[in-house]
Amino acid sequence: MSRYLKLVHMEIHRFRYILAALMCIIAIFQITGLIRFLLRELGHRELVNDQYTLKPLSFAWTIFNTQRWFIAPMLICIAVLAIYVFLIWYRDWVGRSTFMYRLLMLPTARLHIYLAKMTAIFLFVLSMLSFQMFLLVVENIIYKLIVPADLRVDSFFSEIINSNQALEILWPHNFEQFLYVYGLGFLVIIVIFTAILLERCYRGIGILYGIVYIAACILLYILSYSLLDSYESYLYPSEMYAAVMSVCGVILICSFLLSFRLLSKKITV
Amino acid sequence: MLNGVTFTAEKGQITCLIGINGAGKTTIMKAIMGLTPLKSGSIQIDGQPLSKGIYEKVAFVPDHLTMPLGMRLSEGIQFMQDFYASWNCERSSELMSFFKLNPKERIGNLSKGTAAKYSLLMGLSQDTDYVLMDEPFSGIDMFSRESIAEVFSSQLVEGRGVLLTTHEINDMEHLFDKAVLLQDGIVHKSFDCEEMRISEGKSVIDVMREVYQS
Repeated sequence: MSRYLKLVHMEIHRFRYILAALMCIIAIFQITGLIRFLLRELGHRELVNDQYTLKPLSFAWTIFNTQRWFIAPMLICIAVLAIYVFLIWYRDWVGRSTFMYRLLMLPTARLHIYLAKMTAIFLFVLSMLSFQMFLLVVENIIYKLIVPADLRVDSFFSEIINSNQALEILWPHNFEQFLYVYGLGFLVIIVIFTAILLERCYRGIGILYGIVYIAACILLYILSYSLLDSYESYLYPSEMYAAVMSVCGVILICSFLLSFRLLSKKITV
Repeated sequence: MLNGVTFTAEKGQITCLIGINGAGKTTIMKAIMGLTPLKSGSIQIDGQPLSKGIYEKVAFVPDHLTMPLGMRLSEGIQFMQDFYASWNCERSSELMSFFKLNPKERIGNLSKGTAAKYSLLMGLSQDTDYVLMDEPFSGIDMFSRESIAEVFSSQLVEGRGVLLTTHEINDMEHLFDKAVLLQDGIVHKSFDCEEMRISEGKSVIDVMREVYQS
């Protein structure tokens, strides 16, 4: 196994408890919300007992009515992930054990340390997405167990996704959108990583450098977007999209190059 | 800040960097290991400038733990084995029993003395030509000091170049072949300990008193 993969494995091994805890939180929230809604709805239907005015209970309708039970754990996950983006670097510097000593002394390119941390975050997100997909299957089974067959109506997967705001964000409608949403998230993490490394290399003044770097990247992105928008009569939407992607590409390459340089030439423990 | 520091540490010798706190001992160690970038000057290992290959040639034992506290001792060893081609499994097992370490124990639960032994194990289990040790005797009990000192006179360091830093040389100076005295980032004096004893009748501590109390 290459040293890069070993580092990725180690990073995943280190966040396994956090990941498991988040998965538990998501499952508890969503299943609780689902059962609560179904029981209430069935109770209500029993009281009304009018088979002509009440529509059958679809899974998509159930998911629509439990939105806040999806959004709350999603916000918790985003918050934890945001903290973890910082923690993945700082935990190796701060505390009784400075693991960064060991990482920087490994007989492997320091670039691997950076890429392993980035890959770990990426896998973290993908794991959560896959888990959510798996959870929907489990929730569908629970729905079928609770709701009598004569009250059920089947739903398409797209219907389920469209019925819930949280799921709509997690699974964009097309691949282009998926690439844009997750690519942008990935870019934000890369920019933050660069800012963290700036702080680690220059300490006090590095905080300022980091903030300035993040602000410059945001400004560049917003400027490119707004400038292109003002000339929309000259550009097709696909050209505008490509131009914004190019700006993102420039930010990505600059951040990568700067990070690698800092890691190999400037970093101190 | 280091300024004009020049010295050599040779294979088969134990060289001790001596200096009071803040003299620049740890900075030198970190610079050798590429953990502190140099503004000028150069460090050479066997006549070659520093490169990535250094980490297979030089082992570093810092004065604190460098593995995640949640790891077990055995996991830490596995980690080293995974990354270092120079890792010697037989030696690491020998040192585990010599230092009476429990492989199932978590690194975060180790006492200062045991942590020092574990760090030493991590360094000495690599088949490297040189071993750097930063304050290996600092803040540990008498028995841990004794068992660590035993390592210096054993075959574990035979033929290797050992460079260690310390400011506590009481009872330990007989272990050193060469001493380099640092003050404010400058090499104040560098000498052969045995020669100093024979020619001038002075111990390392006597020379330290002359340098630091003058």
